Amino acid sequence: MSVQTFTTASTVEEAIAAVAAGARPVAGGTDLVVGARTGKSTMPESVVAIHRVAELHGVESLADGGLRLGALASHAEIAASGDVRKRFTALSDASAIVGSHATRAQGTVGGNLMNASPAMETGGPLVVLGATATLRSPSGTRSVAVEDLWTGPGKTSAAADELLVGVEIPAPAAGTGSAYLRLEYRRQMEIAVVGASAAVAVADGVVTEARVAMTALSATIRRIPEAEATLIGSDGGSAAIDAAGAAVAAASTPISDVRGSADYRRAMAAVIAGRAIETALSRAREENA
Amino acid sequence: MKVAATLNVNGISYPVDLDPGTNLLTAVRDVVGLTGSKEGCDDSECGACMMLLDGQPVNACSYLALQAEGSAITTVEGLADGDTLAPLQAAFLDLGGVQCGFCTPGMLVSATALLADNPDPTEDEVRIGLSGNLCRCTGYDGIVKAVLSVAGSS
Amino acid sequence: MATVEEPRTFIRPDGKEKVTGTGRYTADLVLAGELVAKFRYADHTHARITRIDTTKARALPGVLAVVTHEDVPDVLYGGMVQDRRLFAKDTVRFEGDVVAGVAATTAEIAEQAAALIEVDYEPLPVVTDFEAALADDSTLVHPTWESYEGDEALGRHDNTLGYSTIVKGDADAALATADVVVKGRYFTDPVQGVPIEPRAVIAQWQGDKLTVWTSTQVPYAARAGVATTLQIPESNVRVIVPLLGGGFGAKCDFHFEGHVAALAKAARRPVKLVFSRREEFFAVGHRREGMVIEFESGARSDGTLVARKARLVLDKGAYCGEGGFFAQMAAMHALGPYELENVHIESSLVYSNNQPSSSIRAPTAPQVCWALEQHMDELATALGMDPVDLRRKTLIETGSVTATGQVLERIAMKETLEKAVEMIGYGQELPDDEAIGVAVGWWPCFASKSGAYVKLNPDGSGTIITGAQENGTGSVMAMPTYVAAELGMQPEDFSMLYQDTDAAPYDMGSCGSQTTFNSGRAVIAAAVDLRDQLLDAAAEKLEASRDDLELTGGSILVMGSPDKSVTIAELAGEGTFHGKSEDVVPDGPEAPAEGCVGRLGLESFHAPQLIAHAVRVRVDRGTGVARVLEVAAAHDCGKILNKIGADGQVYGGVVMGIGQALSEGTQLDAEGRHRNAHLTDYKLVTASDAPKIDVAWIETDTPGAGPKGSKGVGEPPCVPTAGAVANAIAKVIGARVHKLPMTPERVWEAGA
Repeated sequence: MSVQTFTTASTVEEAIAAVAAGARPVAGGTDLVVGARTGKSTMPESVVAIHRVAELHGVESLADGGLRLGALASHAEIAASGDVRKRFTALSDASAIVGSHATRAQGTVGGNLMNASPAMETGGPLVVLGATATLRSPSGTRSVAVEDLWTGPGKTSAAADELLVGVEIPAPAAGTGSAYLRLEYRRQMEIAVVGASAAVAVADGVVTEARVAMTALSATIRRIPEAEATLIGSDGGSAAIDAAGAAVAAASTPISDVRGSADYRRAMAAVIAGRAIETALSRAREENA
Repeated sequence: MKVAATLNVNGISYPVDLDPGTNLLTAVRDVVGLTGSKEGCDDSECGACMMLLDGQPVNACSYLALQAEGSAITTVEGLADGDTLAPLQAAFLDLGGVQCGFCTPGMLVSATALLADNPDPTEDEVRIGLSGNLCRCTGYDGIVKAVLSVAGSS
Repeated sequence: MATVEEPRTFIRPDGKEKVTGTGRYTADLVLAGELVAKFRYADHTHARITRIDTTKARALPGVLAVVTHEDVPDVLYGGMVQDRRLFAKDTVRFEGDVVAGVAATTAEIAEQAAALIEVDYEPLPVVTDFEAALADDSTLVHPTWESYEGDEALGRHDNTLGYSTIVKGDADAALATADVVVKGRYFTDPVQGVPIEPRAVIAQWQGDKLTVWTSTQVPYAARAGVATTLQIPESNVRVIVPLLGGGFGAKCDFHFEGHVAALAKAARRPVKLVFSRREEFFAVGHRREGMVIEFESGARSDGTLVARKARLVLDKGAYCGEGGFFAQMAAMHALGPYELENVHIESSLVYSNNQPSSSIRAPTAPQVCWALEQHMDELATALGMDPVDLRRKTLIETGSVTATGQVLERIAMKETLEKAVEMIGYGQELPDDEAIGVAVGWWPCFASKSGAYVKLNPDGSGTIITGAQENGTGSVMAMPTYVAAELGMQPEDFSMLYQDTDAAPYDMGSCGSQTTFNSGRAVIAAAVDLRDQLLDAAAEKLEASRDDLELTGGSILVMGSPDKSVTIAELAGEGTFHGKSEDVVPDGPEAPAEGCVGRLGLESFHAPQLIAHAVRVRVDRGTGVARVLEVAAAHDCGKILNKIGADGQVYGGVVMGIGQALSEGTQLDAEGRHRNAHLTDYKLVTASDAPKIDVAWIETDTPGAGPKGSKGVGEPPCVPTAGAVANAIAKVIGARVHKLPMTPERVWEAGA
């Protein structure tokens, strides 16, 4: 470990100033320190601890029906939110299964997004829920769609002096259901080998909106327009679901590694995406009921 | 360059000098001198290092010690009331929850956090809650029974 | 024969220190002036070393010692074959071969110094395919194998370290007469012990005397290893084991104590080695071996087995260690607990450039049993019989004679099967993604010498001095209960001095499920000796005949004269009472084993433990993910002396077996290097995946058993678990998974 400078920010301004000066932000430490201990990365020379910045915390339901997550909202906090569970269910699904009890208690949505792992749990749900990330730097604030945040494994489009301060999710359309599902070998302590998120709206028995994203199947989490197209306008029946699953599999570019072969991952892409879509549809129908 | 800090562990304040990259486990074991928390892996998988940070479980091996300044840190050494074992500790012994004992400190800390969050969990909730702590000896049977025996009674 | 139902509660004496965090494991100890040890491992998995230059490492400030083969006696060591040096001299043979060790003031400096050591190599062809290593033209892992000292019975040749057969009748001729013949070929990945405590060693020299604190399961073997490799008498080496954080076989054998002692000697300072989890995976000479297993069995249409043929190839890895007996052990598990007229089993233990394999909890048995029990289910399918009925017909029972000619007296094999299927509700209607699988197995007791003392302190309390090693099971912790029973005292009256080679006589250590069997026998013998001494003293003091005396409630009474008594404390204050064991090792059963080669004594199974597991499994047909929902485990392990401890072995062993069945497997690259040497991708079973487990004990009075009729308990639970899971998976998906572990991908490939 080669950390030379450690500061603790107590305000967003302090945090941003430190980041702009080259410090790496740390909150739960569940990615940063683990990465260094396993030799996947090295500890940065300068670290700013942002975990005590009050205004970066919180899960807040907005008047317009949207949701605001502070960058430091923990997975446990998100999973425990009744509003998230009811209206942003895919995110609740994901936050509830990140790592272990301790990972969920310490790990934050901001850390999850900015670590930019293609296997992260919360990314896919935020993409299909149409979330935007708020990035702040000394020169101002900008919003970026979460799906445009990642540029590769471990890489984001954030500038070096930008800090993710929060995430906003717009109000879902009436009759929307969403779900996140991962292929898991164990029930807990898993890293997604394949994951899929879906958000669908159903009106009068017809799918009116559909967003589908895949996790751990390409360099970044991304939407699969081909899968969405097969669903929109359909009755959401098994033929449409199978076609959407097949579209996800076709769009995937999985790797072979110790967790599974590319062939298996591709086959599972169809299965898991199909199940995620099916769950989202059934939740959407419950909304309508 | 070392940084002076104060760590509050089990209600006692310890002045410490730490390299900024020091993780909480190393700080508590090697600098504070409490060796109950164990190091069993390098990727936050085993849970042997589990501590509480303001009541919430943390894999101390992957948390920077300086971040814990200002928080209440609890380790396995802080669970008993003097010579009187906490109910969880006694139940672990009564019900076969302890064999080699290496996972025990982290397991007890996680169980403490679990019951604080959810005082009357189902068996499945106990199993989910303890999944970040690996035990190779007990098959978890005695541990789960011990936690359930204490649950709901507090 | 009785089934144990009632709990026999027991609180382990080391419990309080373990739940309060005050207990000390090796890595928790700190010696003034201690240095940190780091190793430089092989840069190739098979290569000739042409140059080692430590100049730059030695020059690094903070480095106090760098040790290579040049700095220690040129000694080959190993169990049944002496084929390894502490530090590689001319050749490296696997990823974890140690080329050099460094002792420095900090871990960072030690790591930096290890990296600064310059080693030049001439790479050699790498032997990772252990089945191909049998070929005549294979590269030899040990070209000078003939020069090694080794047990003659192993039948060594080229890459074959051990070769063993079981032959009875004429298997080929009998197969030709069978109504049904089935064949199968199975493959298993290596598996790791994964104690949650990574190993640690501290060595300190005081003059010529060396003290080693180490996380070993076998302190006396560790002492012998240090003495042999450093060429010093055992009397100069004291091995102390602080609390041991699990072993499961992975901490058997002499490992790194010699390296650390050599570093401490060179540095003239205490030196501490603590392994990272990664090192605990790849660098230890202990893992469960990969195997290729082929079976061919024939039966008559009524289910009678007429013949079995088997061919086993076991990956020994680079060195013998203590695993030289594996070929014969595996052959015995290929025979399994079945009655067979005609048998031909051939088992080869083969060197490769993979990590050495040695004992992990029931070595060789889970893999062979997994394959055999699938094979038996396949045979049942071919016969159109229920697999449990086929086992009812073919399993051994009291009076059976095994294929090696061992006569089995008083065993409860079939009774365990009946109990397991009863407990799980075999035959019940299940959802179509669930099924029940059943498997059976066996495991021997290992008789070995052991010694112990029991002394009384002047206040009437006692101390048990045993060489036994407590690895967590509680088998040592239960000893005060045995001693107290002999002396009419309470278990709490006794402290224990253990895990210190200077204190107690030799003991084999915590391996082979032998602690209660052998160490327990010695401790009881010492208590009996002490009892005799107390009775003599009391007879004199009370002027009574010894035969009229009774020890109870901490006193010695004259039966029939309630007024005449003396407390044990009173006697203890007046004399020095210390009992010592006179150990009588029980003889193993004879087995003629005519026509069998590679006989190392395992051709008969001493006081065998019999095991039947029934498991209910759910398989997700879309993904191949299998989950074990329920396990019924019925065991004949003789008399159960400590039920909470024995149950704990089954719970833990079954869950370890489930890991081996579904998720635990070391993946090696083309050069034999670990690809998943970490817990993220070497997946142990978590609490949320561990099922409900029901345990039943069928107590038999087996001849040659241990104290009070006990047999071993620790290893058997691992033996049939994977086989039972495999049989359940096959029932759900209608296809066999021929590779272990049966990962979701493999189940899916098989046709989920």
